[in-house]
Amino acid sequence: MADSMFGYFMMSWLDPSLLGLTALGTLAGIYVGAIPGLSVTMAVSILISFTFSWDVNNALALMVGVYIGGVYGGSRSAILLNIPGAPSAIATAFDGFPLAKQGLAGQAIGVTTVVSVIGGFIGILVLAIAAPLVSDVALMFAPRDYLLLALMGLLLVASLSGESMAKGIFCAAFGACIGMVGMDPMTAEGRFTFDTVMLLGGIPYVVAMIGFFGVSEALYQLHHIGLKPIKQDVSKIIPSWSVVLKYLPLSIRTSFIGVFIGALPGTGGDIASLMAYDHAKRSVKNPSKPFGEGAYEGLVAPESANNAAVGGAYIPMLTLGMPGDAVTAVIIGALYIHGLKPGPMMMIETPHLFWFTVGNLTLANIFLLIFGLTGIKIFAKMVELPKGLLLPLIIILSVVGAYAINNNIADIFWLLGFGVFGYFLKMAGFQVGPIILGVILGPLMDVSYRRAMISVGDSTLELMHELVTSPISLILSLVVIWLIVSQTALPRLIKARFSKGKTA
Amino acid sequence: MKHSFTKALVCSTLAGLLSCGLQAADFPEKNLQGAIMWGAGGATDNVARAVTPLVEPVLGEEIVLVNKSGGAGAISTNYVNSRPSDGYTLLYGAENPQLHKVLGLSKIDYADFYPVNILARGVVVIVANNDKPWTSMKDLVADAQANPGTVKMGSTGPGGLPFVVGAMLKTATDFDVRAVPFDGEGPGITALQGGHVDFMPAGLTAVREHIRAGRVKALAVLSDTPIPGLEEIPLITADIPEFKKFLPWGPFYGVFAKRDIPDDAKAKLTDAFQQAAATEQFGKFMQDFGAVVTNISGDEADAFLKHWQSVTTWSLEAVGETKVSPAEFGIAKP
Repeated sequence: MADSMFGYFMMSWLDPSLLGLTALGTLAGIYVGAIPGLSVTMAVSILISFTFSWDVNNALALMVGVYIGGVYGGSRSAILLNIPGAPSAIATAFDGFPLAKQGLAGQAIGVTTVVSVIGGFIGILVLAIAAPLVSDVALMFAPRDYLLLALMGLLLVASLSGESMAKGIFCAAFGACIGMVGMDPMTAEGRFTFDTVMLLGGIPYVVAMIGFFGVSEALYQLHHIGLKPIKQDVSKIIPSWSVVLKYLPLSIRTSFIGVFIGALPGTGGDIASLMAYDHAKRSVKNPSKPFGEGAYEGLVAPESANNAAVGGAYIPMLTLGMPGDAVTAVIIGALYIHGLKPGPMMMIETPHLFWFTVGNLTLANIFLLIFGLTGIKIFAKMVELPKGLLLPLIIILSVVGAYAINNNIADIFWLLGFGVFGYFLKMAGFQVGPIILGVILGPLMDVSYRRAMISVGDSTLELMHELVTSPISLILSLVVIWLIVSQTALPRLIKARFSKGKTA
Repeated sequence: MKHSFTKALVCSTLAGLLSCGLQAADFPEKNLQGAIMWGAGGATDNVARAVTPLVEPVLGEEIVLVNKSGGAGAISTNYVNSRPSDGYTLLYGAENPQLHKVLGLSKIDYADFYPVNILARGVVVIVANNDKPWTSMKDLVADAQANPGTVKMGSTGPGGLPFVVGAMLKTATDFDVRAVPFDGEGPGITALQGGHVDFMPAGLTAVREHIRAGRVKALAVLSDTPIPGLEEIPLITADIPEFKKFLPWGPFYGVFAKRDIPDDAKAKLTDAFQQAAATEQFGKFMQDFGAVVTNISGDEADAFLKHWQSVTTWSLEAVGETKVSPAEFGIAKP
């Protein structure tokens, strides 16, 4: 048994065509991920038709590569252009782009690559040794627990608000409103749609993301159009061992956040990376630079978490046939089309698939390290392009990306509208990060709350009761309370009282 | 000289005629676009991506698939309806638009489209959490009647499959349950296994592997005749004979084009999809997928769609779950 397990694990390493496809997929994935609007989900669904007549292992090898590469690729454009290539790279832009502005884009990409690979490996490790256990815990997550997770995420607004908390809260609330547009999933009633069918589908949050980050940044940079672009230092791109060791503990901690959030069927890499960023901000006392101004810790946390979330997303998929995120949902479809039966029996009837996937993910992760650390110089030099060339390029990329999501021309208007609005917000000292936070977490909180309330027959008392009697809910509730209390003066007061008591 | 000129003229005229003739018979002469009304990874998406590569060689052109989800399919129906009536834009859809009118979501339903092919019909199974004491539909109904509004049913929101089956059950047995809507059948079944809901009507596609693994228990299959491979699941009519009037009922997946596309395009598309749906490969996929290949087109498909709409909308009307009465749209009573 162990022998055959190892055999399946090594399958993609030894077969030249599988090896080549994994490499090709990873390389292609990095570029797909780096272009905003081109999502991994989209790429993998196109691959289903493309690989229709292929052998299933070849098709899966290519998809695994694209998935691993794509999740990482989002960080490239986040660091270089302040446009997250994918929602899971939003937090990467907070500190990555400031680093690029300081001429350190090369180093930023180098560190990102290494911690992405570390995160990836931890995700795979958890998948390999604890998949059934994690999926059982994931099943226990009730709607009320998703509500608590969303709340926890929204508390991040405190970390992202910049100088003014009030402005941050305004932005988060505004984002939540954008997220509510469209058909209410609980009642099939249109919300903020003005009775038009066009708005019934809602506003894709990637459009809001590209608009508020990319277009508004491009407009903002017009103020400095005359400035010479910052020279990028590309001499020391591969981080030294001491640097890697320094960030390793944080990377491991946030990887575990990533694996677990990724394994939950209702949440994916985007929420994982935001929560990891928040964790870094709270737990790292002396960052390399203040958070938001180019702290490497602010890169390490989200990038470890979102790559670890890949392994996490595979956990419910391989053990139960339940997708852990949008990409694994598409891969499940591919398995059906290739005549496999994804479900809880898959581990028993086709056990080789599990070890083949684990081996293939490991291989793709190694390719990621190779491809991620080569070619950085050219990427970093992109930022040195004259502004007159770079800014129109950003706008064109943004428009293409926004259109690609749903092939809907209306999305381009949203994009430009958000871009212009975001520009004025920036001028007035508002941060755009909380808006995206609201767009992503607002709807999750909305449906989870209502689902939780319906489950208890609209009885608030009953909900409160469940929050303290279910172990998972109790832990999450305590974390939420602690997160709020730790931001107030209370802990300091208690501390002061205690130390006073000691001296007296 | 003159002779060769005449010859050239005749030749070119012939060639022109020939190419004209070819052109008329030669739909399609460019790539087609297929709009899928649900997102990537959903059942409709899977069916679309399974059938399309089999259709392309017959058509001789590619069909470029795009997911245009939103508004329970209303975004896609509106989009395809707004495209030119040339047969180059196809709609890959499920049953949902047949309820859009009565739920007030859209003014467009499949009456506005030509059914190129109703590819397959899904089988519906009612599954329950393993920890529940019920062993049959009778137990479930008795429990729900004894404790009104406390048994939790997994749902996917108004117009979704569990919602419709719930309405039918309510008409047939007068039971009262609490419907908790999830983002789709998959998330609903996940919640069912976690014990966050007690039972759920769902497509066999979404639950078959979980039944096989013994992670959920099947209480009934929505059919009055045994379904091959599912003989061990009791028929719903065994416990609830009143349910017979709704049968056969289930979700379906099909390909549609605008009603007024040219006849030759209609013929070409119908033929291509019929050939694809008849292949062994597609049959195998559907069997694994938990659905039955129907492969019907044109008038036969129209009759199927009409019947489905009539049965479903009127049972929703009976339990007060419609916004507009089906009578308003001239939907006949079953």
